Amino acid sequence: MSRPDGAELMVSARDVWKSYGSVDVLRGVEIEVRHGEVVCLIGPSGSGKSTFLRCVNHLEKIDAGSLLVDNEAIGYTVHKDGLREARDRVTARKRAQIGMVFQSFNLFPHMTVLENIITAPMLVRSQSRLSAVDSATQLLAKVGLSDKASSYPRQLSGGQQQRVAIARALAMEPKLMLFDEPTSALDPELVGEVLEAILGLARDGMTMLIVTHEIGFAREVADRVIFMDQGRVLESGSPEQVIGNPSSNRTRSFLDKIQ
Amino acid sequence: MSAVLLILVAMLVHMVCTNRRFQWPVVRSYLTTHTILSGLVTTLELTGICMAVGIVLGTLVAVGRLSTNPLVSGCTWLYIWFFRGTPALVQLIFWFNLSSLMPKISFGIPFGPAFATFQTNALISSLAAAVLGLGLNEAAYMAEIVRGGILSVDEGQTDAAVSLGMTRVMAMRRIVLPQAIRVIIPATGNQLIGLLKYTSLVSVLAVQDLLYSAQTIYSQTFQTIPLLLVASIWYLIVTSLLTVAQYYLERYYARGSTRTIPPTPQQRLRLYVGHAMRRRVDVGQGPA
Repeated sequence: MSRPDGAELMVSARDVWKSYGSVDVLRGVEIEVRHGEVVCLIGPSGSGKSTFLRCVNHLEKIDAGSLLVDNEAIGYTVHKDGLREARDRVTARKRAQIGMVFQSFNLFPHMTVLENIITAPMLVRSQSRLSAVDSATQLLAKVGLSDKASSYPRQLSGGQQQRVAIARALAMEPKLMLFDEPTSALDPELVGEVLEAILGLARDGMTMLIVTHEIGFAREVADRVIFMDQGRVLESGSPEQVIGNPSSNRTRSFLDKIQ
Repeated sequence: MSAVLLILVAMLVHMVCTNRRFQWPVVRSYLTTHTILSGLVTTLELTGICMAVGIVLGTLVAVGRLSTNPLVSGCTWLYIWFFRGTPALVQLIFWFNLSSLMPKISFGIPFGPAFATFQTNALISSLAAAVLGLGLNEAAYMAEIVRGGILSVDEGQTDAAVSLGMTRVMAMRRIVLPQAIRVIIPATGNQLIGLLKYTSLVSVLAVQDLLYSAQTIYSQTFQTIPLLLVASIWYLIVTSLLTVAQYYLERYYARGSTRTIPPTPQQRLRLYVGHAMRRRVDVGQGPA
């Protein structure tokens, strides 16, 4: 899957720093994602991949550096004396264009599958109920769950829940999708159906940033793979390069361990 | 063990039925008199208003307690500390006597000119003092209950809501609070029943609630025990109704949290009767 080179950047992270107390989680991260590109973030746990992903839509604050999505800062403004928190309403409006899928699904348990999907479009984008239901029905068909519209999340398997979560994020028509270890909480036999849904999105040309431990999947779906370790980007390149022929010892030993 | 219990219960029932000093005919004759019924209405109104104040203010205080702004969380902490830490009876008497602290109350620009000034005694009637005292006190308890409910909801829910573009306030209202309610309701039911009985404290402010109405009657007729029984019977009736209402409310909010909702007592009865009927039919049509 080749993409046009030199396209505008969807995500542009420059020297991003973040710490929890005295622990530096991100130490000068530099990551770029072009429009229409699928980038997989791999690396050992604690390497800062998930934290970086959560920084992209400002679920976590960054301490220093710059992190732009489609040339806009999300959740903060730059001042002479550093970064300052933006107003919640402004942040919310920008976040609406970035979809996120979580490791633990985080479906709303008090709502049916359909309500899970239509709530945000109606509330945030003032879409009419009719058109929201209409697009939700199409999205459910796309992830193969047309018959589950009136079920509650707890009545579904993990794989089904995660596919609903993907549909819920897509309902906002995002320009960027973030996946935070989307298959890590799933039984092995349910992983395939979720990966298949993500592959479908890649085929449609969705820009995606995916944190994953599924190396085989990364090799298949990614235009570029980034290896992170101890809050830094160690290696970045095509799947063949990073996974097939890693240049750093750290990357090689990580891949040896999990494959 | 159960034999001893049975004998004790039998003794109690026997005593209640045969002790003439209970004066059951008097109880019956006063149960639905106008004074008692209007007292009951006042008690119900007072409970309703104070609970409404408690829930609304309590929810605001709870959200304030969870705020990252230290001024907001500090002030709300202070509120809970004060109103939970002093007896409700003391608070009631305090509000009733507010005029000795502030003879006049004015509304206007802080530290600037006043638009309107009122005599405190005219503004704070004994009923207003009752609502203030019980409502503010109730809000402090409800705040802790609501806070517990909010904390019981997984943080991932807020993450998911805001990542869909909801503001923090939307996420709280649409996603977190509706889930917190499941945890909040049982404790709130307790609070409501407690508050219903706590309203009897306002009899010290001469608010004509259920207890005060009973008191006015027995202070003239000296039928103390029968009239206290009258009040108790009404308190029991209302608390029983509230318990039933709580059961159905909990059921309603259980949707989505369990795979199947257990049948109501009514449905269970119907099922049981249905089974029994069918069994009789089966027996009737058995092999001849």
